[in-house]
Amino acid sequence: MKKVLALFLVSILLLSACSSGSKEKANSGNAKDTKEITVWAWDPNFNIKAMNLAKEAYKSENPDLKIKIVENAQADIVQKLNTSLSSGTTKGLPNIVLIEDYRAQSFLKAYPDMFQELTGSFKAADFAPYKLAPTSLDGKNYGLPFDTGVTGLYVRTDYLEKAGYKVADLKDIDWKKYIEIGKKVKEATGKQMLTLDPKDLGLIRMMIQTSGSWYLKKDGVTPDIAGNAALKEAFKTYKEILDADLVKPVSDWSQFVAGFNSGDVATVPTGNWITPSIKSEASQAGKWAVVAMPKQTGINGSVNASNLGGSSWYVLNIPGKEKAMDFLAKTFGSNVDFYQTLNKEMGAIGTYKPAAEGEAYKAADEFFGGQKIISDFASWTEQIPQVNYGMHTYAIEDIIAVGMQDYLKGKDIDKVLADAQKQAEEQIK
Amino acid sequence: MIPAKANQNLQTTKSGRKIRVKNAAIGWSFVIIATVMICLFYFYPMVQALILSFQSGTGTNLTFTGIDNYARLFKDPTFITTVKNTVIYLVIQVPVMILLALFLSVLLNNKTLKLKGVFRTAIFLPCVTSLVAYSVIFKYLFGQDGIINIMLMKVSFISEPIQWLTDPFWAKIAIIIAITWRWTGYNMIFYLSALQNVDESIYEAAKIDGASSFQQFFKITIPMLKPIILFTSITSTIGTLQLFDEVMNITKGGPGNSTMTISQYIYNLSFKYTPDFGYAATVSYAIVIMIIIFSIIQFKVAGDKNE
Repeated sequence: MKKVLALFLVSILLLSACSSGSKEKANSGNAKDTKEITVWAWDPNFNIKAMNLAKEAYKSENPDLKIKIVENAQADIVQKLNTSLSSGTTKGLPNIVLIEDYRAQSFLKAYPDMFQELTGSFKAADFAPYKLAPTSLDGKNYGLPFDTGVTGLYVRTDYLEKAGYKVADLKDIDWKKYIEIGKKVKEATGKQMLTLDPKDLGLIRMMIQTSGSWYLKKDGVTPDIAGNAALKEAFKTYKEILDADLVKPVSDWSQFVAGFNSGDVATVPTGNWITPSIKSEASQAGKWAVVAMPKQTGINGSVNASNLGGSSWYVLNIPGKEKAMDFLAKTFGSNVDFYQTLNKEMGAIGTYKPAAEGEAYKAADEFFGGQKIISDFASWTEQIPQVNYGMHTYAIEDIIAVGMQDYLKGKDIDKVLADAQKQAEEQIK
Repeated sequence: MIPAKANQNLQTTKSGRKIRVKNAAIGWSFVIIATVMICLFYFYPMVQALILSFQSGTGTNLTFTGIDNYARLFKDPTFITTVKNTVIYLVIQVPVMILLALFLSVLLNNKTLKLKGVFRTAIFLPCVTSLVAYSVIFKYLFGQDGIINIMLMKVSFISEPIQWLTDPFWAKIAIIIAITWRWTGYNMIFYLSALQNVDESIYEAAKIDGASSFQQFFKITIPMLKPIILFTSITSTIGTLQLFDEVMNITKGGPGNSTMTISQYIYNLSFKYTPDFGYAATVSYAIVIMIIIFSIIQFKVAGDKNE
């Protein structure tokens, strides 16, 4: 019996060791709320760097507050948030988290009361209007707008010249003209016009946002696919670009970057966050320029400005939220000087309008032949049509990607969109 | 019962019972830990997932919807496509891999083969690589400018690069090649160890009777390995139905959803889209049901008297 007793004692010891371990964790979690806040973000070269600068800037305001910045991949952050929030436990969650604008609504709606309302802690009118729709719910602000995904068309001036074009010829064009130029460039240089990843419909998203349209209607819930003129036009343009053989297909990010770094493509239509990657190929200095995004052909109200990606800061409704709110409000929310530092140190463009008046935004960039790209991007930012991304960007995009494959294989465009609409309506509830 | 032991028991009934109780208690205390752990970490989540599969909603806003989720499965074109894709992988990849593994193991079991260890290690080595690591490498091998396209073009097999990852047909082929590379060696090890247990005299007798190598393979090797073949085909079937890492890393399910597997759809439903954990649980139970059905079929087809 002694052995049995010993065994029980050992197992009890083991069990209690386990449980006390978790208690300790919980305690430390509570303790840190008083003096320390945690931030989760991805991309060490951009978001993390910006957060670190914010941390420096905040030191003068409140030197006592410890700010712990944790780097995670975006997919990991999404998973961790989803698992923690759905299990109802807030332990181990950060105070501040970065969420991509396309996903923001799904988090805000799926986990009500888990995010802290930020209305009033910053002046919403000071931020680019297109950022406010995805970051708020029911008229309340939940996210503090951060980087802009304002898009531009990066072009290789040397390739264009060979085909007899100047940069001015590409300013404020539509996609029809783009294809026309593309064909000439291909003839003259043998280079493709752009890279495309068939799994990523970023190009479609950029195109339809120039017309103020999205996969969903203004309410952010009803799919807007069949009968969406902008989307139909985008599909047609996409196919025309492929049919004209202007595309170098890629299947991931590194191939995408390699596409322009190796000089294989003449243009890169994408968000301004690609600037550091473009500049990383120093031998191409002076050969690039940025022009406004082409607009859609034949769509009323289509403008030469769009958005791709971009994210905002959110505060979770857990102890420490007041401190976190104060930190955000005094850095990303109102500090013009801080935005100048951000821009000088890392070329980041925020969506805080007063910052555009600063000196740093007016600097010329020699890599782009002395073009003032930051101020160009800032002016395009203000023109981006506001759309409600809603909750289902990625779910619908997967449906549309299938439709696109069918369309490219020759299925009728109206039938493709009608089928996608039907499927989206069934899937989204 | 051994008579001697019975006598002993009669003599010392009291202490004997004590010992038996004690032994039983020790035995149970060993078993109980594992049992509790399995129930807690295995059966409890399974039951919870089953309950979850009858609920629907975004994130934490779940409500009971009865069998709506299961009805939705049959109307969900994405789910149907993922099942089709997975079945295509299954019916092409599993037989190819099993045959290849059998073939290789018979070759490597040859008594006169030199450097046997080297070959065995070389073929088994893919199995110890991480799923993600090898997937990423395969992605680069099969890229537009990847080494496979370059090699094929250099030897003038093809004039234009094959769109391995961006064409619906070739992307499936690329995935099948990748999983075959990764898992053939794993199955081969089972066949090799089974072959070591086959009595050499059977082959000798067959040779004396004038059986050719082909006849030996089909009339002796295959029947002798039947239980192992059944085992490997069931584990491979289960593995293929749960296929996730390769597709996620090589093609992300694309182009469109032409390579997406059921497991990846579960991932998308939970993490990529607005989370609907209820429906995701339903899809995972659909996999469970499919695995059970496939296993029963395999037992019925191949299992007859070995079971």
